Amino acid sequence: MLQSEREKMMTMQEHQKAYVQRASFMRSGATVFLGHLDLMTCFERACRRAELPILYSQGYNPRPMMVFALPLGVGIETTCDYLDVSLDRPYDADSFVKELNAFLPSGLQIIRSIAIPEPKDSIMSIVTTASYRFEAKGIRKAMTEAMEKETLIVTKMAKGKEKQTDIRPLLLSLSQASDGDPDAVDFYASAGSERNVRPDLILNSLSLYCGMDREVAENTRVIRTGLFAREYPRIVPIHEVEVRPL
Amino acid sequence: MKNYPVPLSKSDLMSVESPARYVGGEFNAVIKEDMMEELEKTGKTSYVRFAFCFPDIYEIGMSNLALQILYHVLNESDFVACERAFSPWLDMDKILRERNIALYSQETKTPLCDFDILGFTLGYEMCYTNVLQMLDLGKIPLLAKDRGEDDPVICCGGPCAYNIEPMADFFDIAMMGEGEEMILELCKKIREYKLSKSTSHPMSRQELLLACDAIEGIYVPSLYEVFYSKSTCSGKDGSEGKDPSGACVKPVSDGVKKTIKKRIIKDLDNCTYPTAPVVSNLRVVHDRSYLEVFRGCIRGCRFCQAGFIYRPVREKSVEVLCEQGRLLEKNTGYDEMGLLSLATSDYTRFPELAENLLSTFEGHHTSLSLPSLRLDSFSLDLMEKVQSTRKSGLTFAPEAGTQRLRDVINKNIREEDIFSALRLAFLGGWNTVKLYFMLGLPTETDEDVLGIADLAARIEKLYYDIGRETGQRMRRLEITVSTSLFIPKPFTPFQWEPQNSKEELIRKQRLLKDHIKSRNIRYAWHDFDSSVWEVVLARGDRRLAPVLLEGYKSGLFYDAWDDHFKFREWVEILERHGLTIEDFSREFSEEETLPWDHISVGVNKKFLLSERHKAHEEKTTPSCREHCSGCGAATWGVGECFAKGGES
Repeated sequence: MLQSEREKMMTMQEHQKAYVQRASFMRSGATVFLGHLDLMTCFERACRRAELPILYSQGYNPRPMMVFALPLGVGIETTCDYLDVSLDRPYDADSFVKELNAFLPSGLQIIRSIAIPEPKDSIMSIVTTASYRFEAKGIRKAMTEAMEKETLIVTKMAKGKEKQTDIRPLLLSLSQASDGDPDAVDFYASAGSERNVRPDLILNSLSLYCGMDREVAENTRVIRTGLFAREYPRIVPIHEVEVRPL
Repeated sequence: MKNYPVPLSKSDLMSVESPARYVGGEFNAVIKEDMMEELEKTGKTSYVRFAFCFPDIYEIGMSNLALQILYHVLNESDFVACERAFSPWLDMDKILRERNIALYSQETKTPLCDFDILGFTLGYEMCYTNVLQMLDLGKIPLLAKDRGEDDPVICCGGPCAYNIEPMADFFDIAMMGEGEEMILELCKKIREYKLSKSTSHPMSRQELLLACDAIEGIYVPSLYEVFYSKSTCSGKDGSEGKDPSGACVKPVSDGVKKTIKKRIIKDLDNCTYPTAPVVSNLRVVHDRSYLEVFRGCIRGCRFCQAGFIYRPVREKSVEVLCEQGRLLEKNTGYDEMGLLSLATSDYTRFPELAENLLSTFEGHHTSLSLPSLRLDSFSLDLMEKVQSTRKSGLTFAPEAGTQRLRDVINKNIREEDIFSALRLAFLGGWNTVKLYFMLGLPTETDEDVLGIADLAARIEKLYYDIGRETGQRMRRLEITVSTSLFIPKPFTPFQWEPQNSKEELIRKQRLLKDHIKSRNIRYAWHDFDSSVWEVVLARGDRRLAPVLLEGYKSGLFYDAWDDHFKFREWVEILERHGLTIEDFSREFSEEETLPWDHISVGVNKKFLLSERHKAHEEKTTPSCREHCSGCGAATWGVGECFAKGGES
């Protein structure tokens, strides 16, 4: 078969119906140091090992259809991030969790999954807010100070250029750590495709403006504890957005 | 699997490129938890703790099949716990030194000095200095003679181990040949040694080394005395110092074996193979699983070390390969599988194997990668099937520009074959061709060099002629001509040949460059300096140990990385030690004793010599499948040549 004929055949394939598993996952340990692309590859390979009936994108270079709600930066742990996995058939959510977990590298774990109809809005587009937990000596004082500032100007790299940006408006609210640890805080921050703040920029601002030692800031343990849709403060956890089960 | 934390702060890890290289936690990695519990409780274990060391970065090491095979073999046994370690990149190297933290294993983050044995795989000479880096960072004395009873035993294997002389002072043990059986025999000795320490008759390190010498295939460099003629050397005829620069290697005592014969696995079908290899979390150089199809090569290209050291040819059966392929795909999740051998299409039942694997992968979006497909048995039909989604370029390695020179090197490709294969490929829509050649081959003339440009130009003409014949509108043709430089390697018919001088190589490269005129043809060349240094290491001897040591101590390592390789500094150090490049790039005399003559790879020196003479007469040698040429490898009593009654 000639290449041109093959190309034609592939684009002519009709759109296959997708059965989506919306799964939440955690990561800790060694996998914390993976970049987002490597993390995606880890999930893809685990799905393949588990022989789950994943759907592939069409075209020249088919990829497994898997969408993450928000990229997870290097060095960030999570107790509740999300991904949508498209399967070619209806699948029991509990089996999906159990089967995938058996094949994930240690440190990655699916917490739960729900079967949802093919979402109209991509999971990426509905994220507005993230909750984080920071752990470090003196973090409560520094973060409290940060919340009292009018502006927090930091430098970030965008398309190879340095850019000044004010991240203060992206910090939404701060609270004591849920477990009462004096060296930890919980907070909400803007997240998603429209307004997003990376945790390392927040830590950077703490050492710049809030008297936090640079090395302590860099060694702060960062855990993403949740992702939410809708406008703050009327936010809803991602897994409650598409509640209509299949 | 329990996570053993890295002995570094988060900010240190985050400050380096790809921190995931240094944290472990990969799928299919093995941690013997019972051993870890025992260690925690008593501080001791009866397990032999083995660190498999790869002297280059993680991404390269994790693409290495030897690592996966031996890791699997060792961990499958009930008395060895094997972990992995890699060369840290310069950023991490700096941090480990500054913080005084020992280089640690991936699995349990144990400092290398706490292992019983370290095994380095040496795939290329330019990684030698990284062995020193790993030992140094692992807090292990660099020189074998400085290591004591509590230090790990340092060993190596792989193609470079066959002439380990330049590194002989740094290794306690070198393993010759295929390691699957030998490495366990070695570990048994290490276990005896280790257990004897808590008895009333503890074995000494020296006793251990002598015991290891009794294992076939194992070479203990410290049990041999070496003379090079510049001091005093007894030539083969017993005459003192007659030989101007030849070597002489002798056992220090009677009990030590005179010749070290490489080991092979006789029955590959029944040899354990890693069907659940460690899968990197990080995307690595060759991000695919590997199915090893056969060992050895029937061809005998005279420049190719692999073609001789891996003899005799032993194939796995299609049945075993299909089952291993199925398991590999399932256990790794890779979307690509590479068939591995020296010349894939020489596998006797290749079409059957390929069809079978392709049907196993049906609907899985798994592709088959077929490196080293030979041009003369090229099957366009198969390429079509294999590359079901992507059409990558065609790669051919004629190695030389004229038929005369191809006969000299015994690369049995005829131009008719190249052109008939390309005709089919161009008709099928291919428009990217890569051509690999070598410059500086023995007997090479300017006519041969220009033959490369001419061949590329005629391929270009063929492409557009086809367009004219068929009336098809052709896409732009892309031809890449790559030249590497000939490096004479031990255990090949060209082991005596000189390497062209750098000036001569530069002249030839310019000549070729000036004669490639088409915009469709791109010329890519290889760096000279590293090829010159590679000859020094490949044909070197024990006089190089102080050179390597001084180079490393002055900060020279990662020589395999062009950006970090400092040729001028190396030459200065070499000359300070009274040696020159010429000592190693010169023509070696056929009478002199070569530094590696005490090693036997099965293929004997007489055969190599006759092949050398045939090369100079421009005579070819048929493949092992056509006719046994009596190289000596049939003495193993196995392999394709033996089955056909070779050397009877």
